Amino acid sequence: MLAYTGKRLVSLVPILIVVAVVVFFVMHLTPGDPAAVMLGTEASQADIAQLRHQLGLDEPVLAQFVDWLGGVARGDLGTSIFMKMPVSQAIAEHVGPTLSLSILAQLVAAVLALPLGILAAKKRGTATDQMVMGVSLLGISLPSFLLGLFLMLVFAVELRWFPVSGYKPLADGFLEHLRYLVLPALALGSMQAALIARMTRASMLEVLNQGYIEIARAKGLREISVVFKHALRNAFIPIVTVVGQSFALLIGGATVTETVFNIPGLGQLIVNAVERRDYEVIQGVVLVIAALYVVLNLIVDLLYGLIDPRIRHKR
Amino acid sequence: MTIGGMTDLSGTDGVRGEEASRKELLRIEGLVTRFHTARGTVRAVDGVSFSIGSGEILGVVGESGCGKSVTSRSIMRLYDENKAAGHEGKVLLKGRNLLELSKSEMRNVRGNEIAMIFQDTLSSLNPVYTIGNQIAEAVRRRGGAGKKEARRRAVDLLGAVGIPDPERRFEEYPHQLSGGMRQRVMIAMALACEPSLLIADEPTTALDVTIQSQILQLIGSLQERYGMSIMLITHDLGVVAEVCTRVVVMYLGQIIEDTDVRTLFERPLHPYTHGLLRSMPKADRAREGKLESIPGVVPSLHAVPRGCRFAGRCEYADSKCLEEMPSLTAAGEGHQVRCWHYDRIGREWGNGA
Repeated sequence: MLAYTGKRLVSLVPILIVVAVVVFFVMHLTPGDPAAVMLGTEASQADIAQLRHQLGLDEPVLAQFVDWLGGVARGDLGTSIFMKMPVSQAIAEHVGPTLSLSILAQLVAAVLALPLGILAAKKRGTATDQMVMGVSLLGISLPSFLLGLFLMLVFAVELRWFPVSGYKPLADGFLEHLRYLVLPALALGSMQAALIARMTRASMLEVLNQGYIEIARAKGLREISVVFKHALRNAFIPIVTVVGQSFALLIGGATVTETVFNIPGLGQLIVNAVERRDYEVIQGVVLVIAALYVVLNLIVDLLYGLIDPRIRHKR
Repeated sequence: MTIGGMTDLSGTDGVRGEEASRKELLRIEGLVTRFHTARGTVRAVDGVSFSIGSGEILGVVGESGCGKSVTSRSIMRLYDENKAAGHEGKVLLKGRNLLELSKSEMRNVRGNEIAMIFQDTLSSLNPVYTIGNQIAEAVRRRGGAGKKEARRRAVDLLGAVGIPDPERRFEEYPHQLSGGMRQRVMIAMALACEPSLLIADEPTTALDVTIQSQILQLIGSLQERYGMSIMLITHDLGVVAEVCTRVVVMYLGQIIEDTDVRTLFERPLHPYTHGLLRSMPKADRAREGKLESIPGVVPSLHAVPRGCRFAGRCEYADSKCLEEMPSLTAAGEGHQVRCWHYDRIGREWGNGA
């Protein structure tokens, strides 16, 4: 298990190199010039050229790439042209809200979805099942920004239970932190909840038809232990897969929700960076998100082994 | 679930000529199991009545789809969670009608009185728990045993079913064992309930021939040792000949013949039973002769024939057979058959037909 984990961690490196190459060249080959953006429309050609030279943007793209990658290898993601601070510091400042939001959204999703999915599978074909499936279809179809605006209107503007928007770091107290995150987490988590509920139901339905479920009942076990001990753990592999993937998507995709609720997360950082052609920041954020994605996948893979001894023994 | 009275008594109208010493453990009267499907309601088990004596090994024989497995699952009430299923009739275990028990009473019957093993040992054992865990679970379900005690008992049971090095095997997962070993584990798990009735649904079908006879021997010896009754579901008459004392032959949800094993092989009365016997491979039968098979296919449960259900495939069928369903009739000491022409058929079989 340990050796496997080590091997997987090493295999992270080539993936990240590929991501680095792609993000660097996509950024540098698309039109737009940070020097021009920085100096505004009034600037003369000479001024722009001078700034380009200062920033090293007039060097050959390949030389810039090697320079940047060398820095990345040493853990230096470069410096933001606009924010005048190291990219790693900018990311560190913005990653907290995004992680908090994603974790809370995923928690909301899992807490809602698992019981509902199991219930729907147990009550297959009944009104309960149809209702769960109907609501989950709605959850998948509804864009999170729309749901976000709706939640904001009802629970913040009308009922005033929660703040309309903004963010308070954990340092301001856990409850205060939570209060600001509830609505965005609901908006962001609802689609994941719908996906997870559907996957849970499908997976449970398959497992509930297995012989060992019949045997578990034939042993005289309570239906509760049939479902939660014998069925759920077997149904978990596809569920964990969806949870892992959607979590990775959450981190990358919280941008819209962060914008709606004005949360200073990675999403806001990258949107601003793209608008300003802040190359180093964009590259750094994308690289960090890619790394998170790969690590999450690794965690999911390791969980497979924990859940299912057959996978564990194959390694 | 509807638990009504006996709506179909066709199975009980025969004289039951059992010897007085035979003590009944399980008696099924007019059992019907219905399933509501998109294409209408089907009766997978349609008025089945039979009994199992204490310490008896009853063979239940028939082609796939004849209702033998559904009968066994109905006895265990394994369709309780299936909203589309319903029962009628009585399943009397030691005089108690299982179909009228509450769910928790039924759980106690399952954990203590009736145990079950299946054909497919790989899917019958939970892949994510050790076999020891699964056996100990059954031991603890029976009650009275702590964790340590349950483990000790589970290891004993693994030894009792002939698994070498049970201490080590306790920690293994189903996928680490061979099919034969897994069936032994299943049997150990069933024994953990100390059941008075073991239902074995095609326990040897998926196994190699050599392993098959080992498992059958094991089942036979355990029956002697623990004195339980066994309901052995199979489509293999060879298995029946090897271990059973009595046999029930099923066709399309009904019993068509019910007798002791000796009579079944010496003087079978139903043409379907004849077909089954003839389609058994035999070493002493001339090699040139093709292996016989019963012509035609089993009708669908959605289109059950009006008269005798076997009439469409039967060489003896006449107009009466097509119109009227024969009832299960006593044809001798402890021998019942569902056929209009059993008299004639019996005579012809005796003459070497």
